[in-house]
Amino acid sequence: MPHFTRPIHTQSGRNSPKPPPTHIYNISEPPYQGQLPTNTDTYRRSTPNTAIVIDNGSSSVRAGWQTDATPRLQFPPLMARYTDRKLNRKLMFIGSEIYFDGTARGQAKNVYEPGSNIVNNWDVQEGILDYVFIRLGIDGRNNGVDRPVVMTEPLANTGYTRKVMSEVLYELYNVPAVAYGVDSLFSYNYNGGTTGLVVSSAHMSTHLIPVVDKQPLISQATRLDWGRAHCAEYLMRLLKTKYAGLLTSGKVNETQIEDLVRSHCYVSQDYDTEMLRLLDWSGLEARDHVVQLPFQEKEVVQKTDEEIRRAEEKRREGGRRLQEQAAKMRLDKLVKKEKDLAWLQQVQEHVQNASTKKEKQELLDDEDFRDELALDRKIKEMEKSVRKQRNKDVGDLEEEPEEPHTYPLLDIPDVDLDEDGIKAKRAQRLLKANHDARARAKAEKEAEKARQAALQQQDDMRREADPDSWIEERRAARLATMQRIKDRDRLKADLGNRKSQASQMRMKTLANLASDNPLNRKRRRGQDKEDDGFGADDADWSVYREVGRNDEDEDDEEEDLGAQLKAIEAQLLLHDENFTEEKTQEAQRDWTKSLVHSFLRGPYPFDSESAKESNQFHLNVERIRVPEVVFQPSIAGVDQAGITEIAEDILMQRLSYHPARNNILKDIFLTGGYSLFQGFEDRLRNELRAVLPVDVQLGVRRAKDPVLDAWKGAARWAGTVEAKPAFVSRAEWLEKGAEYIREHSLGNVFS
Amino acid sequence: MAPITTASNEETHGALLDALDLQKVPKPFRKPDWKPPQRRNKNLKQILSEAQRAQQSIITTQQNSGASTPLPPTDGTITPASLNPNPAQANNDLSRVVLEKNIAAQQTSGVVASLTANVGGLAVTPSVTYTSIAAAPSLKPKKKYCDITGLPAKYTDPKSGLFYFNAEVYKVVKNLSTTQVQEYLAARGANTVLK
Repeated sequence: MPHFTRPIHTQSGRNSPKPPPTHIYNISEPPYQGQLPTNTDTYRRSTPNTAIVIDNGSSSVRAGWQTDATPRLQFPPLMARYTDRKLNRKLMFIGSEIYFDGTARGQAKNVYEPGSNIVNNWDVQEGILDYVFIRLGIDGRNNGVDRPVVMTEPLANTGYTRKVMSEVLYELYNVPAVAYGVDSLFSYNYNGGTTGLVVSSAHMSTHLIPVVDKQPLISQATRLDWGRAHCAEYLMRLLKTKYAGLLTSGKVNETQIEDLVRSHCYVSQDYDTEMLRLLDWSGLEARDHVVQLPFQEKEVVQKTDEEIRRAEEKRREGGRRLQEQAAKMRLDKLVKKEKDLAWLQQVQEHVQNASTKKEKQELLDDEDFRDELALDRKIKEMEKSVRKQRNKDVGDLEEEPEEPHTYPLLDIPDVDLDEDGIKAKRAQRLLKANHDARARAKAEKEAEKARQAALQQQDDMRREADPDSWIEERRAARLATMQRIKDRDRLKADLGNRKSQASQMRMKTLANLASDNPLNRKRRRGQDKEDDGFGADDADWSVYREVGRNDEDEDDEEEDLGAQLKAIEAQLLLHDENFTEEKTQEAQRDWTKSLVHSFLRGPYPFDSESAKESNQFHLNVERIRVPEVVFQPSIAGVDQAGITEIAEDILMQRLSYHPARNNILKDIFLTGGYSLFQGFEDRLRNELRAVLPVDVQLGVRRAKDPVLDAWKGAARWAGTVEAKPAFVSRAEWLEKGAEYIREHSLGNVFS
Repeated sequence: MAPITTASNEETHGALLDALDLQKVPKPFRKPDWKPPQRRNKNLKQILSEAQRAQQSIITTQQNSGASTPLPPTDGTITPASLNPNPAQANNDLSRVVLEKNIAAQQTSGVVASLTANVGGLAVTPSVTYTSIAAAPSLKPKKKYCDITGLPAKYTDPKSGLFYFNAEVYKVVKNLSTTQVQEYLAARGANTVLK
């Protein structure tokens, strides 16, 4: 028996509503930065040994002279080359300059294949190199680029890629000497590292490279295929499933998603606990970021009062004018009808006064009447209609009392009447039937109303007489209705599942119906063998209701249980003091308590009519979910270990007997754009601390500028003495083979 | 060709186009008669498979050419060099060879692994390739997170295989269409791919 020492507070009542969001973020504009300048000074001042340093990165290409402090060119590795139809000439744009035009942006191609850090599109690479050389002021005075080039390449670059790159540089641009290096190692060197573990988490991949005494242990290095680009793709997928239909049709493009990742995401220190607390009501408005997509406001034209009045008057005027016109037309018609009537009456007189039958007939034919009876009837009709109209419009004549409908002919048996009489009799019978039916319907309606009124009265009387038991009764009815709703839903769900009891019973029924010897069906005498007698008994048809599985018909068919429930609850609310707003079904579907609502719309009410709110999305869980993948790649389905596990594997297993291992642990160095996420460094430190032995000293630091340090490192290295032998001259390259590089401490190994 | 930035409008767009266009800028540093080789854009899969094939052909020629003495196995226990049961192919299996080479080199040199592996003086197999430095799958147990909300999930829907956090989320899961279910699973890499 549970024994509570403290009262348990159940969640009751709505959570307190929050004020509207304080800051709504907008998605970014395309990153057009204007044209990068061309500066020829440095070229003219440079010596033949000043190298051009190019950091060929997947997020952006950074290029400049070796003597610069920072790269003067930074642009994304994109190129758009197409023929413009209107101007009928070829156009080529590079880098962020493509964003100035929509067509250019659509035609842009990336150097890298999406998802990999190996150069793929060489035309774009050539375009990029052209751009770099133009902007650096190379004028080709010695038939080509006459400065050595330092270029970065990914760790363990494939031979083919290096071959084609070297070919482009040596053959096409006539570069005198080229040196390759790994960007993260340049960054490490620039930040004064000698022994440590380089964790380079960049745009397309994450590398972990142990370095001992400035020599990288490339064979122990590991690459995890996750970077900022993958984060953007993951966020796009999450948003697509979260807000169905909102992100389709190219409303949001990749640069905007990358921007969102950069501005809203951060690395959580303790993922599981933070996740559990994230969607809690308290403090949700701080954690939930609202991003507004461009939208079109639905046209709600607010007219001023004057305008409304004016519009009304115009309408009224128009109405009045129309009415007048109509009245005039009717008057005209009336006058015409009366004239016709007078004419016909004249004809009738003539006919009556005509002596011979032939004359009569002639006169009648003139007016297209069959005989006198027809003429008579027509005249009577016209008189009636003229009278009615006159009454309505002009109000001259009084209304004649309605003749009671008589059906004299019905009493005369058929034999006594002639042909016309029979027809007339039939017409009268129809009329009578109609009239009777209508009267019956009216009577029934009134009877029904009376019955309802009587019931209601009875109910009220009962309530006043014995309120408690009435309330009990209503409550029981409410519970019964709720139970019935639940049962109906469960039945519907069960029928979908093939192995459930309901489904199997249904199958049994169907099989029984289709079999040759159905149960409970005795054949009556006098029927043939095929006839199984289905339908002779009225109860047979109820089988359709049991077996039918239509979902559409069920709901509004017999009992609208939802409406019933509402009616009962309304009654209870009125008369029962204990039944408060809380307990109604409506309150139980309260959005403030709903986790899914907090997930989708934050702690704010959602108005599905408002175009503004329908085009918003809320980033709450995604803020920590997206960067977490580098620690747990299985979240996004990447079948690799996370960086903590990789680091642990390198340090504790592969290099466990290495003498420099403890020194490596003292300097764990973070570089690359991914490490810019808030909380990345602390998280890595805490996680590593947990898996390393207690007595080992652990140091984690970050590059001073994780994005640019690779270029700066390469630039500084290019001027050092040990860089000299690393350059491969053109002649040497031609001799030693296309894939040849000179190994050095900041580059790949030649294999 | 609508201008899409605030930096330009209709009139200046044409001027900006001319200013930014690189096609008409002379590039004297290029060799004028350079013709790029055909079909040089290769994606990663192609590059790697070609490299693999090239290495295998070298190994085959090396092994049967008599130019180098084959090394005996270094330790008593004979672990198969490759998991491939076919002996002819097992000899040519590259991935194990790289690892074996590294371990052997470590044991012989003792301290620092040499950077290139040699067999009888000839550099045969690379010690480091693009694929060899890829990270291995994780050995830690995977944590389950709700596919809809991202919170830690304790329950799995038997019908669709989605993870969910609580009964409220389960109601949402029950009412998803097949395409939506596959989209959620695809975000996790667990969708069914029909080839």
